[in-house]
Amino acid sequence: MIRLANVAARAGAFALADVSFEVPAGGYGIVVGPAGAGKTTLLETIAGVVRATSGRIVLCGNDVTHAPPEARHIGMVYQHAFLFPHLTVRQNVDYGAASRDLADDMITRFGVDALAGRPVDSLSGGERQLVAIARALARRPRVLLLDEPFSALDPRTRNIVRRLVRTVYYEQRFTALQVTHDFGEAGLLGDVAIVLDRGHVVQTGDPEDVFRRPKSPYIADFLGAENVFAGSARPIRAEEPDWVEGDPDGFMEHAVAFTTGALTFYALGDVVPGPTHAVIRAEEVSLSAEPSHSSMQNQFRGRIIEIVPNGALSRVTIDVSGTPIVAAVTARSVRELRLVVGSDVVAGFKATAVHLC
Amino acid sequence: MPLAAERAPGMPASSAAARGAGAIVVALAASVFLLFIVAPVAGLVASGGWRGLAGLGADRELRASLVLTAFTATVATVLGVIGGTPVAYLLARRAFRGRALVAAIIDLPLVIPHPVAGIALLLVLGRATPFGAALYAAGLRVTGSITGIVCAMLFVSAPLYVSAAREAFARIDSRYESVARTLGDDAWRAFRRVTLPLAGRGLTAAAIVMWGRAISEFGAIVILTYNPKVASVLSYDRFTSTGLSGAVPAAAVLVLFALLPLVALRALRMDERQGR
Amino acid sequence: MSRSAFVRSKVAPITVGVAVAAAVAAVHACSRPSPSGAAARDTVVVFVAASLAKPLQPVFAAYSARTHAVIQAESGASVVLARRITELHRIPDLILLADPEVFPELLMPRHVTWYAQFARNRMVVAYTANSRYAAEIAPANWMDVVRRPDVQVGRTDPAIAPAGYRTLIMFQLAQRFYHRPGLADSLLASAPERNVRPDASGTAALLAAGELDYIYDYQSVAESNGFQFVALPREIDLGDPSLASEYATAQVRVRRPGSDTTVAIAGQPIRYALSIPENAPHAAAGRRLMSDLLSPAAVRELRAEHVDMLDHPIVAGSNPPAELRDATGG
Repeated sequence: MIRLANVAARAGAFALADVSFEVPAGGYGIVVGPAGAGKTTLLETIAGVVRATSGRIVLCGNDVTHAPPEARHIGMVYQHAFLFPHLTVRQNVDYGAASRDLADDMITRFGVDALAGRPVDSLSGGERQLVAIARALARRPRVLLLDEPFSALDPRTRNIVRRLVRTVYYEQRFTALQVTHDFGEAGLLGDVAIVLDRGHVVQTGDPEDVFRRPKSPYIADFLGAENVFAGSARPIRAEEPDWVEGDPDGFMEHAVAFTTGALTFYALGDVVPGPTHAVIRAEEVSLSAEPSHSSMQNQFRGRIIEIVPNGALSRVTIDVSGTPIVAAVTARSVRELRLVVGSDVVAGFKATAVHLC
Repeated sequence: MPLAAERAPGMPASSAAARGAGAIVVALAASVFLLFIVAPVAGLVASGGWRGLAGLGADRELRASLVLTAFTATVATVLGVIGGTPVAYLLARRAFRGRALVAAIIDLPLVIPHPVAGIALLLVLGRATPFGAALYAAGLRVTGSITGIVCAMLFVSAPLYVSAAREAFARIDSRYESVARTLGDDAWRAFRRVTLPLAGRGLTAAAIVMWGRAISEFGAIVILTYNPKVASVLSYDRFTSTGLSGAVPAAAVLVLFALLPLVALRALRMDERQGR
Repeated sequence: MSRSAFVRSKVAPITVGVAVAAAVAAVHACSRPSPSGAAARDTVVVFVAASLAKPLQPVFAAYSARTHAVIQAESGASVVLARRITELHRIPDLILLADPEVFPELLMPRHVTWYAQFARNRMVVAYTANSRYAAEIAPANWMDVVRRPDVQVGRTDPAIAPAGYRTLIMFQLAQRFYHRPGLADSLLASAPERNVRPDASGTAALLAAGELDYIYDYQSVAESNGFQFVALPREIDLGDPSLASEYATAQVRVRRPGSDTTVAIAGQPIRYALSIPENAPHAAAGRRLMSDLLSPAAVRELRAEHVDMLDHPIVAGSNPPAELRDATGG
C-alpha cells in the first residue's frame, strides 16, 4: 500500500506541494498530468531518491519518510531503462535480486534469456525495458513504481510488455503506481487515478470516475475529452414541453438544461444556475441516420464536418447548430452508415453522459 | 577543402568566393598555430634526441632526476586522486550554496604565478609556521625534500584533476545511481558498483592529465626544493651552468619523457572508441 | 573532460589575467614622466650579481630619479648572468658580477675586453634572532654550533654561484686554521644538498622565512637583509687581498653537471667586478651609469648599503673606457 499525506518535495525545477493520496495494498495506481506537473518527481519522492521536505510517506504500513531508498523495498522503472552499461543483461537483473533463482525466473518470464550474456548496448528499446522491469521485479519489491514505462516503445512491443507486467502483477500482487500518458491504458489497469498538475493533486478517485467526471474543464481537456463546452446551466421544471420518457420523477429533480451557443441539451446534476462547463466523452455520442426512440434524451441533427480515422475508432465531428460535437464511432459503423463529410446525421447522447464541472 | 566553394544556383559569386577565401584563412591560421607548437619541440628532439638518449646510460644524474620526477608525480597524483575524487563528486552531484565559490577556489592554483604558489606554500608549511612546525616535529620537512616536491606538484596540478573528474562524474546520469539505490545499494555501494566503473575511464584520463602537469612544474617546486632536482630543475640547472650544448641532450630526453602521458591518454581514447 | 571544454573553461580567467597585466604594464609605461630636455631618455640594461641586487636598488632608484633614465635590472648568480650573454645573446649595457674570474673564463675576449674590480666582500655565517642557538653562537664556537644535529644550515650551489664554491674554500681554510682534521668534510655534511640553493638570494630568503638557521653568505648580503652574522677570521673569510697567497693554498674540486669531470678552483680574495660588453646596445648610457656608480657620492651610498667599495677600481684587460681612467685617477 502507498499512502502520502501532505508531502512536499523539490527536485531542480520541479516541486510537489501538499500531495495526499492512497493506493490500497495490492492496488494499481495511475498518475496522470501534463508535462512539468512533477510526476517523475512524485515517483522519485516515494522511492526516496528525492527527499520529502514535509509530510509523511507510508509504504505497506511503514513510515518511510526518512528512510533511504534501499530500505524502502521498492522497485523503480524509468521511461528509459537505465540499464547499467558496464554489466551484461544477466548481471543487471542479478544486481539487487532477492535470489539468483528469482532473477533467473524473471529473465525467463520476460523472455530475455536469449539475451542474458549480452552487453546492454546491443539491445533494442523494447528489450531494454523488459530487462529493466525484470531487474526491478527480481528484488520482489512490495511497491513497484513505473514512470511511463511503455511510452518509448512501439505499439506492438508496448502491448507485449504491458501484458507481461500485468500478468506478473496479478500473480505477485505488489502495489503499483504508474505514470502514464495513455489514459485509456489507465482505465484498463487502475484502481486509483491521481491527477497531478503543477505539483498539486487536483483530483483522485476511480479512473472511470475521473475519466467521466473530471473536476475541471482543464482536467477534462487534458484527459482527452473531446467535447468540452463552456456555457450556462439552469434547472428545468416539469412543465418544459420537450421532455421525454425515462424516469420522470427522479429525472426531473435533477434535470438541467445546458446552453452553449445556439445549442441546448440536457444533463443531470445539482448545479447552481449560472456559467459552467459541460464534458461529454466522444465514446458516449452515437450516430444514426434518424432519431431513435430510446432513452437518449439528447438527439440532434447536424452536418458532418470532419472524419478522422484513428485505429479501430474514428472521430467524427458534427456541426450541431454551430457547435461541434465529436463522436467516437467504429470504422464499421462509418461504412455502414455511409458517413462522409457533408452528410446529415443524428448525434445522440444520454443526459447521464453529460458531466458538468 | 575546395579552393573555390561550389556555387549553389542563384547564389551570388562574391559570397562563394568569400567562403572559399574564409576557408583558406582558417586553414592557414591553423597551420601556423600547429607549427608554432610542433616546431620547437621537434627541433629540440632533432638536435639533441639521439645524443641525449645515448648518453642516458652514462648520465646518472639525469636518470636519477627522471626517476625522482616520475616518483614524486605519482605520489602527488595518488594523493590528488584520493583527496580530489570526493570533492569532484560533490561538485558534480550536490548543488549546495557556494558551490561556484568552492569551484573557483579550487581553480585558483591554476591562475597563480608558479613561484607565487611556491612562496604561498612556504608561508603555510614552512618550519617557522605553526602548522609547519608540527610537520617538522613529525619529521616532515617541506624544503629541500621529496615532501616539498610532492606538495608543490599537488598544489598546482590537483585542480586539473578535480575539474576533469567532476566532468567525468557529471557525464554519468544520476539516475543510474538512483536505480542502484532502489535495488538495495546504500550510497557508498552504489558509488562503488555503478558510478566508479562508469566514470573509471574519465577519472583515469584526469589522473594522467594531473601527472603530466606535475612532471612539468618548475616555479613552485624550485622555491621549496632545489636539491634533489626534479627534471625541470635539472634542465634549467644544466642550461645555466653548462650552456645550451650541455642542456640540449637532457632537454630532448625530458621532452620525450613528457610525451608518455600523452601517449597514455591516446591509448585510453583509442580503447574507448573500440568499446573496451 | 574534453580538451575543448577544458580550454573553454580556462580561457576566460586567463584572458582576463593577461589583459589586466598588459593594461597595468601599459599604464605604468605611459606614466613615466618624460624629460623636460630635448635629449632622449637613457635606457640601461644591467645584469647584477644576486648578492648586489638589494644594495644597488636604492642607488639605481636615485639615479633614475635624477636623470630620468630607465634602468632594467636583472639579477641572478654570476654564471647564470654570463650564460645569458653567451647562450642567449642578450647583451646588457653594464654587468656586475661577484666573481671577476667569470670574465676571463666565459666572457673574454668575445663579449668583454676589460673588467674593473670595484668592491670587496667576505664570507660570514649569517643568522636571525629566530635561529637555533642564536644567543650562543660566537666566533670561537661557530664551527661547532652549525654542526649540531638539530640545526639547519644552508649554502649556495658551487656549480653556479661563486658564493657556493667560496663557501667550500672557506671550509678548507677553516680546517687548516683551526687545526681540526676532517672539519671541512664535517662542515659540508652539516649543510647538505637539500639545503643548497642556486643563488645567494635564495638562501637569504629561506633564512628570513625561518626554514634555515644559518647560511654561509657574503657580509653584504647579511647586512642588507638585516641578518646578524658571525665575523670569521680574516685568514679564512676571503676578504683580505693581502692574504691572497694564503687563500690560494685551498683548492676545491667542483663537479661539472652532466658529466663526472671536475674543475679545480683555488681560493682568491672576493672581489666584485664590472664591465661594459663590446656590443652593448646602449654603451654610452652604460658608461654614464658606471661613472655614477663609481662617483664619490655613490660610493658613499653603497658603503652605507654595506657594500665594501674599493677606494679606486682595479682595471684588468685592454681598452677600458675613458671614464674608468679618470676614476682610477691615473
